[in-house]
Amino acid sequence: MEHVDELIHGQALYALSPEEEEQVALHVAECDRCRRQLREAEALAASLAYAVPAVAPPPDLRDRVLAAIDPVVETAPAPAAAARRPAARRSWWPRLAAVAVPAMAAAVIGLAVWNVSLRGDLSSLHGNLSSGRVARLGNVGSVVMSSDGRSTMFASMPAAPAGKTYEAWVIRGQAAVPAGLFRGGGTLVLTLTKPARPGDEIAITIEPAGGTKQPTTTPIAHASV
Amino acid sequence: MDSGNTPREGRVEHLSDHGLLALIGRGDREAFARLYDLYGPAAYALAARIVRDRDLAADVVQNVFLAVWTGATQFDPARGQPSTWIMTMTHHKAVDMVRREQRRRTEVLDAAGDEPAEGPTVEEQAWRGVTRTNVRAALARLPDPHREVIELAYFAGYSQSELADRLAVPIGTVKSRTFAAMRALREALAAAGMHPEDEWNTSTS
Repeated sequence: MEHVDELIHGQALYALSPEEEEQVALHVAECDRCRRQLREAEALAASLAYAVPAVAPPPDLRDRVLAAIDPVVETAPAPAAAARRPAARRSWWPRLAAVAVPAMAAAVIGLAVWNVSLRGDLSSLHGNLSSGRVARLGNVGSVVMSSDGRSTMFASMPAAPAGKTYEAWVIRGQAAVPAGLFRGGGTLVLTLTKPARPGDEIAITIEPAGGTKQPTTTPIAHASV
Repeated sequence: MDSGNTPREGRVEHLSDHGLLALIGRGDREAFARLYDLYGPAAYALAARIVRDRDLAADVVQNVFLAVWTGATQFDPARGQPSTWIMTMTHHKAVDMVRREQRRRTEVLDAAGDEPAEGPTVEEQAWRGVTRTNVRAALARLPDPHREVIELAYFAGYSQSELADRLAVPIGTVKSRTFAAMRALREALAAAGMHPEDEWNTSTS
C-alpha cells in the first residue's frame, strides 16, 4: 500500500484535484497512519480559520440557523404577525430523507421530503391532503392549502442555477411575503413558512442565493389558492 | 422573537464540544444553540473572508450548522475536535461556493486592526484574540513563497494546479512549498504553546 504523505497537506487545504482527493479518500479509509496524519493536518489547517479578522455576523443569522433546524411550520394564520416580521427568512436546505408515504398520490411516493419528514410531521401532511384546497402550480406541480392556511407544495423542479435559489412567496394584493427558499433538483414536498388564505397567490421565483425580501424576477410558476 | 431559542444559563455551558455534539445528536436545541454561539461567529468570519459576500457567507454558515444538526449522530469523536469538523466543513463549503461563483479573490490576509468583540464570554473572546495573534505571527514567520501557497489555497480557494499556473512554478514546487509551510506552521504554533489537535476546543480549556 502506497502512502499518500505528499497529498495530505493539499487535502487539508482542500486544494487537490478530484482525482487526488479520491486517492486520499480511498487510502485513508484503510490506512490508520495516513488517516491520523490527515486529521492532524486538518486541525492545523483549521487553525488558519482563526487568523481571519472577526466580522460580526448579520444580526438575524443566529435566528436563521436555529429556525433552519426547526421542522415546525408557522401555522397561526395571522396576517398581522406575518406582516410584522417580513424580514424573517427561513430556508430549509436539503434535509433529505427518503420516505415512503403510502397514503399519498402515486406521483409523490418515495420522494425526498424537505420539510415535513422529521418529527413525525407527516401526519399533518396527510391532514392537508384530506381537507385542503388544491391549486395547480404552473406546470411544475400543485399546492395544497389546508383550512388553517398552511400550504404544502408538491413540485418537480430542476436544481436552481449556481448561485441562485428558488424562493416561494405568498402574494396578497400587491404585497409579496417570502415563504421559504429551496434548491430544487428533483421532486419535492415543501411546506411554506407563511400561511395563505383563499384569494392569495403562491408564486415561485428564482433569486440570488440567500433569497430576497421582495421578488426580483418574474415568477416561473404561480397558483391561486 | 427567539424565545425558546435562547439557552438558559447553566444547563449546557459547562459541556465540552464533544458533550454538546452528543446532546445535539439526540435533538437537543439548547446544545445546538450553544455550539452555534461558540463557533458560528468564527465560521461566519472564515466564510466571509473566503466568499467576500455577507449573504453568501451567511448561507454557508447556515448550511454548515444544518449539517452539524443532521450529522451529529454520525460524528466520530476519534476524528478529532468538533471545532475542526465545523471549520473544515465551513472551509469546504465556502471554497465550493467560490469555485462555483468564480468569485475568488487574491488578497492576502487583512492586517490586524480594531476588531469587534466576539465569543459568548470574555474568556472566550480573550482566547480567540490570543489564538488570532499566534496564528498570524506563525504565518508571518514563513518565507513569502511558503506563506503564499497556504494563503492562496486556504483563503482564496485555489487548487494546487491552479497555483502552479498562477505562480509559474511546477506543481511539484507548489506541493513541496505547501509541505514545508505546514510543517513550519505547526512548529511555530507549538513554540507558542498551541497544539491544534489538542487545543482548538474552547470548551475544555
